[in-house]
Amino acid sequence: MSVDGQSVTGPEETTNVRAAGSPQSLREAQSLREAQALRKAVVVGGNRIPFARTGGAYTKSSNQDMLTAALDGLIARFGLQDERIGEVAAGAVLKHSRDFNLTREAVLGSALSAETPAYDLQQACATGLETVLGLGNKIRLGQIQSAIAGGVDSASDAPIAVSEGLREVLLDLNRAKALPQRLQILARLRPKDLAPDAPNTGEPRTGLSMGEHQALTTAQWKITRQAQDELAYNSHRNLAAAYEAGFFDDLLTPYRGLSRDSNLRADTTLEKLASLKPVFGRNLGSEATMTAGNSTPLTDGASTVLLASEEWADQHGLPKLATVLDGEAAAVDFVHGKDGLLMAPAFAVPRLLARNGLTLDDIDFFEIHEAFAGTVLSTLAAWEDEEFGRTRLGLDGAFGKVDRARLNVNGSSLAAGHPFAATGGRIVASLAKMLHAKGTVDGRPALGLISVCAAGGQGVVALLEAH
Amino acid sequence: MNTGQPIILGEMPSLSKLYVNAAAAAARRRILGSPAGAGLPSVGHEVRGVQADVGNLTAYQHLIGETASDVLPAGFIHALAFPVAMSVMNRDDFPLPLLGMIHLRNVVEQRSPVRFTEPLDITARAEALRAHRSGTQLDLVAEVRVSGGEAVRWRGISTYLAKGVFLPGIDKASASVRPEDFKAPDPTAVWQLGVDAGRAYAAVSGDFNPIHLSVLSAKALGMRRSIAHGMYLASRALADVGAAKGDSFRWDVTFEAPVFLPAPVGLDISTVQTDGAAWLRSDYVAWNPRSGRKHFSGSVAAL
Repeated sequence: MSVDGQSVTGPEETTNVRAAGSPQSLREAQSLREAQALRKAVVVGGNRIPFARTGGAYTKSSNQDMLTAALDGLIARFGLQDERIGEVAAGAVLKHSRDFNLTREAVLGSALSAETPAYDLQQACATGLETVLGLGNKIRLGQIQSAIAGGVDSASDAPIAVSEGLREVLLDLNRAKALPQRLQILARLRPKDLAPDAPNTGEPRTGLSMGEHQALTTAQWKITRQAQDELAYNSHRNLAAAYEAGFFDDLLTPYRGLSRDSNLRADTTLEKLASLKPVFGRNLGSEATMTAGNSTPLTDGASTVLLASEEWADQHGLPKLATVLDGEAAAVDFVHGKDGLLMAPAFAVPRLLARNGLTLDDIDFFEIHEAFAGTVLSTLAAWEDEEFGRTRLGLDGAFGKVDRARLNVNGSSLAAGHPFAATGGRIVASLAKMLHAKGTVDGRPALGLISVCAAGGQGVVALLEAH
Repeated sequence: MNTGQPIILGEMPSLSKLYVNAAAAAARRRILGSPAGAGLPSVGHEVRGVQADVGNLTAYQHLIGETASDVLPAGFIHALAFPVAMSVMNRDDFPLPLLGMIHLRNVVEQRSPVRFTEPLDITARAEALRAHRSGTQLDLVAEVRVSGGEAVRWRGISTYLAKGVFLPGIDKASASVRPEDFKAPDPTAVWQLGVDAGRAYAAVSGDFNPIHLSVLSAKALGMRRSIAHGMYLASRALADVGAAKGDSFRWDVTFEAPVFLPAPVGLDISTVQTDGAAWLRSDYVAWNPRSGRKHFSGSVAAL
């Protein structure tokens, strides 16, 4: 512990350091950098709070409350009290402007050393996964030895903005100097200006909600209602089984009376799912197939992941579950319908696997975020489509088939819920644990693939390997 | 006809005064009958040194979904030129009643970008008086140059219809063309237009035509509810086409059914590319998602 100030090398380094700035030390540092191969960034473990349906157990909890709760559980699990972590990065999609330093504030409210730096990141639903990739890269470069990635979102405690009319009046009032001027500005207010502006999931450039966008894609790829209901059913069944098997015992800290995700319906049936009325795509030419059962509900929650270099994990006597191998971001031109809003992972995954000399057959666990059942199924359909493979991916034929027995085996967002920025951390921690348990397959480390779609036609995907 | 030099107006005509004049002229027509003669005014009008107001420009850009850049959107230039065009239609020798004219079509050539700092010379004249199956139509041609410059930077042709007005000496149009059946495609966007969409556009464009402002003012002119400005709808479609259109383009719109406010409007934008996958054109069509009726359609193409 650095009690009397922060040591130059950081608490985790043991190497001797010469007087900084001497010509010899500069030369040595330079040659050290050149000789150094990338290090490994490993997942030590994770912690999240159970995800709660909006308006439920976390209604009054703020983003900062929930992120701190998830962080404190992680600190307790891995003995990080007073530890100076290399860097903490997290974010929220629905964020109030006063939370400009959300992650740093959560760190200051946690048991971590107050000398732990932090930054906020926002990439819509890919926020959580992107924090893992960004911090993992810093560890690989040797810039930091340890890191905590995370994300949080509250749809219950969402920020509400004042209308544009009221906002302009308030800002102009603030700039006005004299009383007559102020009165003149106030006179511009109209009753409708007092109506607040609540956040919504509509895409700014199209005015269509995410569900309406997915309904277009679902219809385009001819995904049936039955296939979507089956995927939702499996998600609930798998998540329930994972809870029963104690899978989440070391991945989750109870919060506000919840010890399981409140959206989980362990007793749901295909009949029940089939009885729900469609909620998206009702005004399209094709049949509406997307229901509240095969779409993720708005949810509150937070998740964190502890990342480290191998040396740091060893020095602290902590496990090394999986290595963060690689990541890839993609975006699609969805605005005029060239591709579906949530189809970017369909392009990111083929690029990521090609770069690593892998095919879908090499992957032991697929974690494809279930924004909607239709999103997962449209992505799989695109990969199995000859024409899409040839014309859009530049391959000789279809990209490949995902073995459904390896897909979201411990449930995913349809059952757990999806507090936007918290989903990446949920998936990374769970997958790392699954990979570690699996160990090797045919003499090679088990491989896991994560795919997360995001608003704005974006997607981030990542490759993890059992350590 | 339009061979002479335009009459140079000392200042930008006031649209509200023009509307009041038009109302008075309409009353006169009712009492005294239409003026004889079927010719268009032989002169155009010109206003020199027109300067865009940057606050107004920003409000316009935000309203229609353009980024607030320093370049004037093509629809904004239309709004700048509109009072000049209106003043031509307000002339005593203009043969058609201005109030109640229907905007059928608009074609704009944005030949090169205009920045808000550049003072503009704006001319407008009436052309091509001709028959329409349900009345008489004509073109209002506006041209915009940077003050002192020769080159036309922006040229707009607005086609208006005086419904039910048949002038002597102008042949009747041939039998009406049946509109093709329209089947709404899947939308690429849906606009939710509030009841105040007309007032909001009036505030940034200066076009306070009562048919756009409120249910009451629209009813006074015989409409059942207020309707959205055609150029507001077309300008939003142009903004939605996005950056692909570049600095110079041809933008056209044909209006079919008015958009009664408030209303959702379904929009589809489809891109036409060259063999080399370069942008060639974006076609757009808008409709009422409830009734499936087409509101307007058009395209933005490379110039």
